[in-house]
Amino acid sequence: MKIEIKNLKKRFDDNFVLKDISLTIKKNKSTVILGQSGCGKSVLLKTIYKLFSFDSGSILYDGKSEVDIDKFSMLFQYGALFDSLKISENIAFTDFINDKTNFNKKVISLMNDVGLDKSIFDKYPSEISGGMKKRVAFARALYKNPKVIFLDEPTTGLDPINSDKINELILKVIKKRKITVVTITHDIKSAIKTGDHYYFIDKGIIQDKGDCKRILETKDKVFKSFIIGADIKQL
Amino acid sequence: MKFIEDIGVALLTLLSNVGKFILFIAFFFKYLFNPKFYFKNNIRYFIYIFISSIPIIALTGIFSGMVLALQSYTGFSRFSAESAIPNIVVLTLTRELGPVLTGLMISARVGSSIAAEIATMRVTEQIDALKTLNTNYYNFLVTPRVLSLTLALPIFVTLVDFIGVMGGYIVSVHRLGFNDNLYLLNTIEFLSLGDYLSGIFKALAFGFIISIVSCYCGLFSGKGAFGVGSATTNAVVISSILILSSNYFLTELFF
Repeated sequence: MKIEIKNLKKRFDDNFVLKDISLTIKKNKSTVILGQSGCGKSVLLKTIYKLFSFDSGSILYDGKSEVDIDKFSMLFQYGALFDSLKISENIAFTDFINDKTNFNKKVISLMNDVGLDKSIFDKYPSEISGGMKKRVAFARALYKNPKVIFLDEPTTGLDPINSDKINELILKVIKKRKITVVTITHDIKSAIKTGDHYYFIDKGIIQDKGDCKRILETKDKVFKSFIIGADIKQL
Repeated sequence: MKFIEDIGVALLTLLSNVGKFILFIAFFFKYLFNPKFYFKNNIRYFIYIFISSIPIIALTGIFSGMVLALQSYTGFSRFSAESAIPNIVVLTLTRELGPVLTGLMISARVGSSIAAEIATMRVTEQIDALKTLNTNYYNFLVTPRVLSLTLALPIFVTLVDFIGVMGGYIVSVHRLGFNDNLYLLNTIEFLSLGDYLSGIFKALAFGFIISIVSCYCGLFSGKGAFGVGSATTNAVVISSILILSSNYFLTELFF
């Protein structure tokens, strides 16, 4: 699915979080949205997902303003797994709450895809590690075979080894399923490894954009300061 | 001038919250069985509430009945009216103490847990996750809690009434020297169906109040640990105040 965003504005009370955002998410490609904490990345993601309304501008999904959000899935920053449900019930949530019982085979296949051991099938989220929670959340996001998957800071809170495993997982999903992936992150390494195109947001506007493989060659000073983690005045 | 402005802001905030709460109740009824009623989820929650509340209910009942018998004896013995104790114990429990004490205890036990659980779900984006999974949170979270607690409270009150009467019986017979058969006979003969039903009606109302207030406080909680803490406190305080104030009007109704 191709998603085109034009002159998007979104505010909370008097605070404009998204001032003027225009970008294109290409079909079956991996688009990465980068930016500092609090720059409006998550708000943008949730607005595209229709979890938030917007004040002005337009979002077109394959050229239409209406979309069935059942075609979307999201991996939340900290997994957002349901604590009172088992891992298998979390992954097959939509079937589980509709009292369907024949989801075990699909759940095990997905657990295998995201690199989870069958032994956690009947465990609860509180009994597994942070890295495993991300994988369970990933499996849940893939369960309904989405056309677009939104990844909200997929490597946040993980050590370098687990971060890399998640990056590999994203690449595997893109290759195997041929779906559109939208990732928001401030992890440059992850963006380079998993993305095709990037947009860098600063103060509610698109400050820079380009090819992910050429992120480090950017000429934009604000983005450069973000990449090396230094104050712009020091550049 | 600042003082008046502050009062105005507080008043507007209060009115806005009351409006939001009324809308929340309206949405609860709108989504009660629509678009989806998760039957197993509702049953599961009912069983959870029921089992987790039984010990606290039993303790509330037994000690209320025992204290009531002792205190009634203190007062009635001054008028040589000790024989009225079985009647007073059963009447006070079924019409008043049973529903009110059960309501307050359940508000602390279940109401706080509902508010804390839902507020934590809000803070950890689980509510957003529900939306992304095409699940209406009224159907999945609010309906099971409100239905379960509204239906469970009359059962709890019946248990408190029964255990309380037994507590009064134990103290009256073994401590105050009442005849055991006479005590039970007086209790059964004095109690009318109307007394019992007035307590049950109150229990239904209190169950609805506790659950809807707790769900509301949880869903509209602030951010972080402070938000979860405030939601829990607000749920218990608001439910308790509403139980005590509505109790007067419900008592007037059955007076």
